[in-house]
Amino acid sequence: MIYLKNVWFRYPGSNSWVLRDINLKVLPNEVIYIVGPNGSGKTTLLKIIGLLYKPTRGYVIVEGKEFWSLSESLKTKLRRDVVYVFEKPILLRRSVIENVAYGLLIRGFRRDEAFRMAENVLNTLGVNYLANRDWYELSAGEAQIVSIARALILRPKILLLDEPFTHLDRAKRSKLIEVISNLKRNGVGIVLTSHIEDTRLPIDKIVYIENGSIHERT
Amino acid sequence: MIFELNAEVLEITIRSIMISGGAVLLSSTWSLPLAYITSIKVRGELIPSILEALIGMPTVLLGLLLYFLLSSQGPLGFMRMLYTPQAIILGQALLITPLIIATSYRILRYSIETYGELALSLGASKGQAMIIAFRESIPGLLASLTMAFSRAIGELGIALIVGGNIKGYTRVLTTAIALEVSKGDFEKAVSLGMMLLLIMVVLALTIKSIRRLLT
Repeated sequence: MIYLKNVWFRYPGSNSWVLRDINLKVLPNEVIYIVGPNGSGKTTLLKIIGLLYKPTRGYVIVEGKEFWSLSESLKTKLRRDVVYVFEKPILLRRSVIENVAYGLLIRGFRRDEAFRMAENVLNTLGVNYLANRDWYELSAGEAQIVSIARALILRPKILLLDEPFTHLDRAKRSKLIEVISNLKRNGVGIVLTSHIEDTRLPIDKIVYIENGSIHERT
Repeated sequence: MIFELNAEVLEITIRSIMISGGAVLLSSTWSLPLAYITSIKVRGELIPSILEALIGMPTVLLGLLLYFLLSSQGPLGFMRMLYTPQAIILGQALLITPLIIATSYRILRYSIETYGELALSLGASKGQAMIIAFRESIPGLLASLTMAFSRAIGELGIALIVGGNIKGYTRVLTTAIALEVSKGDFEKAVSLGMMLLLIMVVLALTIKSIRRLLT
């Protein structure tokens, strides 16, 4: 579980608060949908939940410990349970299969094992035909689905998806909704932002964000 | 006559490559670490703007400053470096320092912010994130060093003032071209100029191939 307690955030060198006094619990087996206008702080909030940004004020409690006061090795260990998928897909300058396997390789998996698992994940998402393509050969939608595959292979406890449907066509969107539903059934906590509303999404909680403040609706 | 000309052009070309290559290597030893420090420590645009302004520093001015430093009456006169290839290497290394820092720091900053954050989000340690950020920045850094080499090999002021254009010792392509033009031997000047152009083209193609291999 991740608990944001009285979190305030502003970017270094800026005087204006992006997030103000945020209190939010992210639980396993729960899908949270963050809604808000452009520039309202959705991505920043997601990156704080993703343990990538340190709050200017307040606490991020992960498994009962204040994350930002932990040692680097413990931070890395806890970060491995939380995976963030960027709104704009960022791919390493490598083939698709190497991109998908990257997270496993840095965890010490053998190359052949990591590649086999990568092929399975690509297969699950219906894009195994991309495996041997290079990063520059992909469309925006393909890059998006590859970056989602790269997150799924790590079997996170909490999965954070920043505008995951933006570049996807209808078929890939349906596939992703199916994957999200399966992950929820398997106890994964999911937080996502999206402009595209889809009633098929298994949403447990909607968090509205505006001017850096949130209010929830269950 | 033609053979003699070719041999001399070749000798001058090799010396030019060695001197400017040496300058890039020497400058990299301080410019790349400084670019890294700038990329992680410096916020705002003041320092990058100053560095970018210094890219256009006149080479004759830098050559003159170095001449005062290295001349026998100057503070570094005891090193007896004036009119040596080492003096040109030092001068060119200083000349390209702002260029390497200004171009590399943006590449490194982008790479750290983008790939470093990506690696952390996938569970990398800080060390692993830095490695991947650096690896992803290599093509850009190579391009930066290529630009620096082009700037160094194409400059005239420093090579002329602190090198002295000594035949068989400090004569490089640009000083040789200037000399041949002043003598009225335009044919030889054009051959030397073509060689300079050829180096640029070969270098650009080589770097492009290396980048393709690395990516």
